[in-house]
Amino acid sequence: MVAAEGLAPTRSTEEEVRHCARCGLCLSACPGYRQSLSETDSPRARVALQKALREGLLDLSDEGVAEAYFRCLLCGACAFVCPSGVAVDRILEVAREELSRKGYLPDTLAELTSRILQYRNVAAEENADRLIWAENLVQPPTGLGKNSADVVYFVGCVASFFPRSYTIPQSFVQVLDRLGIDYALLGGSEWCCGYPLLLNGDVESARELIQHNVEAVQAMGANTVIFTCPSCVHFWRQAYPQVLQVDELDIRIQHATEFLADTLETNDVELGEMSLRVTYHDPCDLGRKLGVTEAPRSILRRMPGLQLVEMPENRENSRCCGGGGNLESLSPELSGVIAAERVRQALAVNAEIIVSACQQCERTLSAAVRAQHLRVRVEDVVQLLLKALEGIDA
Amino acid sequence: MPEWLAALKTTVGEDRVLDSPVDLVAYSYDGTFGQGMPAAVVLPETNEQVSAAIRTAGLYELGVVTRGMASGLAGGSIPTQRDIVISLTRMNQILEIDEENLTVHTQAGVVTADLQAEVERFGLFYPPDPSSIRQSTIGGNVACNAGGPRCLKYGVTGDYVLGLTAVLADGRILKTGGKPIKDVTGLNLRQLFVGSEGTLGVITEVLLRLIGKPKYVRTAVAHFPRLEDAAQLVKVTLKQGLVPATIELMDATAIACIEDAMHLGLPLDIEAILLIECDGLDEQPVQNDIETVAGICTECGASQVAVAKNEAERAKLWHARRSISPALARQAPNKLGEDITVPRSEIPSVIRSIKQVSVKYGLPVVIFGHAGDGNLHPNILFDRDKPEHRETVELMAAEVFKIALDAGGTLSGEHGVGSFKLPYMRQALGTTSLNIQWRIKQALDPQNILNPGKVILPS
Repeated sequence: MVAAEGLAPTRSTEEEVRHCARCGLCLSACPGYRQSLSETDSPRARVALQKALREGLLDLSDEGVAEAYFRCLLCGACAFVCPSGVAVDRILEVAREELSRKGYLPDTLAELTSRILQYRNVAAEENADRLIWAENLVQPPTGLGKNSADVVYFVGCVASFFPRSYTIPQSFVQVLDRLGIDYALLGGSEWCCGYPLLLNGDVESARELIQHNVEAVQAMGANTVIFTCPSCVHFWRQAYPQVLQVDELDIRIQHATEFLADTLETNDVELGEMSLRVTYHDPCDLGRKLGVTEAPRSILRRMPGLQLVEMPENRENSRCCGGGGNLESLSPELSGVIAAERVRQALAVNAEIIVSACQQCERTLSAAVRAQHLRVRVEDVVQLLLKALEGIDA
Repeated sequence: MPEWLAALKTTVGEDRVLDSPVDLVAYSYDGTFGQGMPAAVVLPETNEQVSAAIRTAGLYELGVVTRGMASGLAGGSIPTQRDIVISLTRMNQILEIDEENLTVHTQAGVVTADLQAEVERFGLFYPPDPSSIRQSTIGGNVACNAGGPRCLKYGVTGDYVLGLTAVLADGRILKTGGKPIKDVTGLNLRQLFVGSEGTLGVITEVLLRLIGKPKYVRTAVAHFPRLEDAAQLVKVTLKQGLVPATIELMDATAIACIEDAMHLGLPLDIEAILLIECDGLDEQPVQNDIETVAGICTECGASQVAVAKNEAERAKLWHARRSISPALARQAPNKLGEDITVPRSEIPSVIRSIKQVSVKYGLPVVIFGHAGDGNLHPNILFDRDKPEHRETVELMAAEVFKIALDAGGTLSGEHGVGSFKLPYMRQALGTTSLNIQWRIKQALDPQNILNPGKVILPS
């Protein structure tokens, strides 16, 4: 019930449901609906289903009920545009929580939960192997094997275990080293942040992970923990204090782009020429949910020659890449067409590179680019920044 | 599986028919608080599939309720257990943009905002702008003859319909109209379907007239201590031959509602705010026009007039108007939004009468609308979970309609009749008109399967 009580409740979810005017504006913002074009896949329907469940028109066990809530990205776009101010995102989280608690979690997602609880990561890999990505760097990262540091870099499961995403932590540690930052990597002491469990409606099971991670960071004597993963940072900022029942953690929690934007600005760091036309894709957890939209852009704007063009749906209005909400595990097809649509939007503004600040966005969008044989690259801000820093030396 | 359902799945394709309890709930409502579970839902992609669905419905005496994104405000696309819903959202292809003849030919399920954006890429303009533009389809707009703020200058949806394709009750596919601007060859069947709300046929394609896109827009906002002076501004401006694109009105109830919810610093001692926009091809004439209107505002008694100098200021001026919906939602869980239209000269007296209805019954009514064309949106705020509210709302709506009709007005300017306004149709139109409408309905739909129980009743 932590999610239900946790994320800034102002009205009960019953009250939220009652305030839906059924105007349908959320359909225009919902990436899932815009691809499936069936009302069943819409936020408005998910709200209406809650009402129907309460009125006894439907039962949780009815075919399609659980699917309706898990075939959703939890990207939050619906709640953001709702003119009635209905917290649709909260309704969706609470619905998942109830389904999960009563045993209606879809099998693929239930497997994910048990994987995380058993292995402490989403990949069902030996958790001690979290730093394999660091092994083939020319210069070993200075953050390896430290017992104390000001800053901890929390790598996150996907970047730690999925080889296609290795470039992100590899680039980021090189950036940190070039900027002379005193940081540490946690290796096997880093556990899954717990966010996938929130998506599965089971934050309670994340308690142990949360306590462990906070202790691991504190054991380093760090005052700051940095993330390249927007979902980790979002979860740390919003759920960690609630689960631990404190107003705020005694640690500064920052996304890599926030940390880097500050550092570049403070130290007036010079960057090499990057003659590229890029567009920036705001990850939902970073942009819409945490309001971090300008830090990544300010890093890009520091790069001489780089032309930043915006897609019409940008910043808080960004359209999800298709990788949110564990949808990928449940319906890879829907996730894929949503990603393809976002890539199409980037191509429409003639971008050479879609820059994001999230390994999940990068993975989902790259997969769509490959599947459709399109001519556009997908890179993380830290990858471009590393090249721009190297450009100065060259 | 019932025989009719098996037949439906065979004729239109199994993957295009939804019948799970979850799907039926998802297709049970529109943009109102009304609700009714359908028998099944069909998501066709071609005219032939629509035709097959209708034929099957006819065979098994089921009703056919057509919908797009179901943002209607009159219950027009709410089904019953004896209806199948045809959702046209997957018929969303723009078939042709003709830059020579300035037309667009499109399937009915295209979202109106998407259609507008697409033609604008060619420097063309589709003017109708219902406030549901992002959550309504062009087919729904045509079927309800949707309006919007810009209609003062540019006219309503029907004014842009050159032709359409409709699937009839017997499954035949009718194509009517075409690219010629003038066409008096026989009866104007296409306009018969405009505003018919799915009762005469299922509109699957439309051919729309486009115009060149006006390049400049200038916006002004004026505060009027007296409602009569705001009405005077409309009259004087139009009489001078100056036609703004938009003259939006917020009355004291709307101003108070917005201020209460949003704290924008709006004055609470005035009776009306008007938001006026002029547009055109060249900057200077548009600027001259808005300044002329601003001058007339002052002459008519406005206490304050502001003209936006740029896009940021324009957005600021629109902020209050755009805040109405969110503000309403914060006041009460439910609202009944009507769209009576009255002769412009009657606006002040009609607003005063509606306020008396609010006082009499004790539920708040918030009034705003399109002052330029006499189209008012009195929104009655209530809580559907309180049974006494539901009764009161009915009584209040009846009185609002009577006020409009007594003033020489009409029940609906742009939302349509649906099922919500049926009880007032005789009062509004009289027996002869209703009888003719029913006979037209019978001629096209003798079995009464197309949106039964909506708009037109046996007479």
